[in-house]
Amino acid sequence: MRTTKVLALCLVLLLAGTFSITAGGQQEAEEAGPITLTVAAGAVGQELVLAKEAATAYMSMNPDVEVIVLETPDLTTDRLGLYLQYFEAQSGVVDIYQIDVIWPGDIAEHLVDLNQYGAASVAADHFPAIIENNTVDGKLVAMPWFTDAGLLYYRADLMEKYGFSEPPATWDDLEMIAEKVQAGERAAGNQDFWGFVWQGNSYEGLTCDALEWVVSMGGGNIVEPDGEITINNPKAAKALDMAAGWVGTISPEGVTGFGEEDARNMFQAGNAMFMRNWPYAYSLGNAPDSAISGKFDVVPLPAGDSGRGAAALGGWQLAASKYSENVEEAVDLLMYMTSYEEQKRRAIVGSYNPTIKGLYSDAEVLEATPFFGSLYDVFVNAAARPSTVTAPNYAEASKIFFSNAHDVLTGKQSGAVAVRNMALDIEDLIK
Amino acid sequence: MINKKSKLAGQIIFWLLIVVMFIYLVFPFYWTIVTSLKTENQLIMTPATFIPRDPVTKDISITFQNYGAVFRNDTFVRGIMNSAIVSFSVTVLALVFGSFGAFALGKLRFRGRTFSLYLILSMTMFPQISVLTGLYAVIRALSIPARTSMILSYMLFTLPFTIWVMTSFFKKLPDSLLQAANVDGATSFQAFYMVLLPLTVPAMVTTGLLAFIAAWNEYLFALTFTSIQSSARTVPVAMALFSGEIARQEPFGEIMAASVIVTLPLLVLVYIFQKRLVEGLTAGAVKG
Amino acid sequence: MSQHRLERSEQKLAMLLLIPSFLVIFLIAFYPLGSVFVTSFTNRTFASSVETETVGFDNYRKLLSLKIMKLEPIFDPDTGLQAIDDFSGEPAYQDPIDLLPRDPFRYKPLREFDLFGTRYVYAATDPKFIQSIEDTLFFTLTSVILETIFGMMIALIMIKNFPGRGGLRVAMLVPWAIPTAVSSRMWEWMFASTRVGVFNVIAQWMGYTDGQFPFLTDASTQIWAMIAIDVWKTTPFMALLLMAGLQTIPMEVYEAAYIDGCGAIRRFTKITMPLVKHTLLVALVFRTLDALRVFDLFQIVFAQKRYSMASFSYYQLIDNKMMGYSSAASVVIFFIILFFILLYTKISGGIQND
Repeated sequence: MRTTKVLALCLVLLLAGTFSITAGGQQEAEEAGPITLTVAAGAVGQELVLAKEAATAYMSMNPDVEVIVLETPDLTTDRLGLYLQYFEAQSGVVDIYQIDVIWPGDIAEHLVDLNQYGAASVAADHFPAIIENNTVDGKLVAMPWFTDAGLLYYRADLMEKYGFSEPPATWDDLEMIAEKVQAGERAAGNQDFWGFVWQGNSYEGLTCDALEWVVSMGGGNIVEPDGEITINNPKAAKALDMAAGWVGTISPEGVTGFGEEDARNMFQAGNAMFMRNWPYAYSLGNAPDSAISGKFDVVPLPAGDSGRGAAALGGWQLAASKYSENVEEAVDLLMYMTSYEEQKRRAIVGSYNPTIKGLYSDAEVLEATPFFGSLYDVFVNAAARPSTVTAPNYAEASKIFFSNAHDVLTGKQSGAVAVRNMALDIEDLIK
Repeated sequence: MINKKSKLAGQIIFWLLIVVMFIYLVFPFYWTIVTSLKTENQLIMTPATFIPRDPVTKDISITFQNYGAVFRNDTFVRGIMNSAIVSFSVTVLALVFGSFGAFALGKLRFRGRTFSLYLILSMTMFPQISVLTGLYAVIRALSIPARTSMILSYMLFTLPFTIWVMTSFFKKLPDSLLQAANVDGATSFQAFYMVLLPLTVPAMVTTGLLAFIAAWNEYLFALTFTSIQSSARTVPVAMALFSGEIARQEPFGEIMAASVIVTLPLLVLVYIFQKRLVEGLTAGAVKG
Repeated sequence: MSQHRLERSEQKLAMLLLIPSFLVIFLIAFYPLGSVFVTSFTNRTFASSVETETVGFDNYRKLLSLKIMKLEPIFDPDTGLQAIDDFSGEPAYQDPIDLLPRDPFRYKPLREFDLFGTRYVYAATDPKFIQSIEDTLFFTLTSVILETIFGMMIALIMIKNFPGRGGLRVAMLVPWAIPTAVSSRMWEWMFASTRVGVFNVIAQWMGYTDGQFPFLTDASTQIWAMIAIDVWKTTPFMALLLMAGLQTIPMEVYEAAYIDGCGAIRRFTKITMPLVKHTLLVALVFRTLDALRVFDLFQIVFAQKRYSMASFSYYQLIDNKMMGYSSAASVVIFFIILFFILLYTKISGGIQND
């Protein structure tokens, strides 16, 4: 009998102990104003500051609303995983989600149709490609917040040194210049120098890069907006074979393990002539202590057989949760955060690429970030990944695409076999 | 004569082994420290240097900016507190419940011993990701606060571990101890905590340390359960939230600085307990 | 009569002592684990209102179906000899994609092999999962064996009395103390494919490579790099447990054996091994269990180049939202783990017998 008592006492004490330790934090989270809106945004330094400033500005205009900005992991799969747990639980704890450009189709059923709240009138001001991307079955499920597109970075100083006057207009030009500069720089003693670095790891980033090659070659958009699977064609195969030819010649063998940061690290250390990357690398490369500060420039990616270059569309949107307890207020906040003024502020303070066409001719914006003007065409013509048409299976479709492309890069299969496998697998998936 | 020579050779091999093992186990941590003392430009320079050096002049140049940035991060500093509370509670609970269970499974005769052992182990035989959704549903249904939910869910992997390890130790203790105590008029439970339990201290310290560290380092559950209640975030979650000034930029130096900082308290803990780890041995008694 | 009462009281005490553990199991494990089993027989979509249907063993069939088929050689119509494949430069065979069945699930080639002069294709309905099983098993077996050997060596060293052992014991535990999420990234950085990575610097310095070797993408080094990381990370775990096991060996036994003139190896196999057998068994069970469930290491270092079984399950759930399919993969992992545990206990003569 005594044993039982001792045991029971232990249990009670321990449980009471843990609950009392943990009770403190709970109360502070539940403290609330009349209406609390929670925005799940990125954890990135400046991005978070900008979001919090927007929240403060909004609260001063709407004193009855309290806005909480919640940090979420910068790692995209972790963030998606977290969002999905909320959606699965149909939880209203988060009112506004920051979502990737490839997610609207996959998670549309949990999001509010913004057209019903008067977003249609503003939508026309934004880039049509993004609005189309965010429209699922006629419902506008997310407002564009900022955009992103693939760019070609090149070393202007080395162009001059080796007697090239124009940045490469075609992939052939790029290969030629890269080869020559690489050979020259290595002869001059930099054994770590490479011609061209890009994102070749087996992940979503490769889908962007490979889509750019395929589109520039005229090989279609993998799956067209009408649902037709077009990837199985010789032009697409040629595009992949072309990239496979770079590996080990103008690009390091290790490029098949590269993400954005690996490429930037190499370019910024002064060890690469060309780099395919997103606009973020621009301001970092021009930081005062950077080895290449002031020595490089950006242009649109080179053209392939189609005669045009292509840039993959990236960027983030804001969406309102269907499970929110204050949908109307949430949409109001969302519309504020994606408005002309807000995007202008973000463009000037943080060089976030606006999604509103008018901002690319706004004098104040152009003064702060001059390269916006010359890249307007790149952003407006950026190729969207086929995420909405393949929804809700985009992630798998993309995986089929990038893992087959990766096998081409590592020499496991030819481009022709790869595009056939892609077509067959995607057909199995979405038919 | 020959014996002496072979003994000397044995000594040399012994020390050589220690050195090799030591390098393998410690070099990555050394590299972590070096990395944390480098700026981004020093990190990306080629070839990598074994001591932080300036990319241009090649002089030794050490920076503490990464550490400054880590300590300015409130989430991280609070994270250390949270991790300590959660890991400590998990360890205590697992050791108490575990030693109860292990005594029953290792020393008492009853039906279903083997079955119970397997049942307990089966808690931890699924990948974490697949039980996460169900667990999150339970936690929401019972509206358990974030820290408590971490403490409870970490039992999923710490409890089976403590029970299995402790059971194997209880089993090694001679039955005569228990019988002697019974003869002296002690109940089985008294025999357990007055006679047997003190004998398993090295095992308790070992399992406790391993369980503590496992709980300290858990990420996936913590990320989900603390996502709303940000004040309860633990260290691994806080570290996952580290990011550069600009999206996509990864502050590698800061992450490394943070990992040095979170590892140090654990090492102090190990140093305090390391004597207890070998308590059962008379020093130097085992001859190789 | 008294004996009987003693047994009954022991039984009662055992039940009481196990209550807390079973309470925990009931509270936090019963529903989540049970629902994984149940979900694995459905086509449930994660975070979606799509109607869930029971699909029987479909998920398992799709995960695990294998097929081996013979491939016919292709002859060049002009020469009458076997044609040469343009891409590989080797004799050409029929394309397996045309040959393999497509209903109800399409079989995809995993690899081709020759046997007695005939070419065969080894195909699976989900080659990525089959590949992940093969990779995870290889990874687990190799790293657990190495960890056990190293762990035993370290444990034998660490229980000795020598100057500086306290510091060494602390140093030994460092790898286990660093969160995997961080240490994996550290190793990824050390294995970098250029000379920012320390291994490329060392390899070049020793004259093996030109400082540009892609350790993590080259098929011959990929898995070994993973094993090196895992062995580094978990050897301390093994060493610490074995150390605890070693010290319950009564010293008199050793002394006696020493006086009897037993050699070091004999002492190890005859005395040390049988006595640490139990601890070793437990350590092996938990290491194997963790290695078979390896997740963050593969997710961080390999992205989606190669999968472990658990990272496959993760991507099926989070990326593809195929909860039923992902659960089925987890159940397969569960049974593979169970198989290993039963195997260990069988070899060591049962967990209950001494």
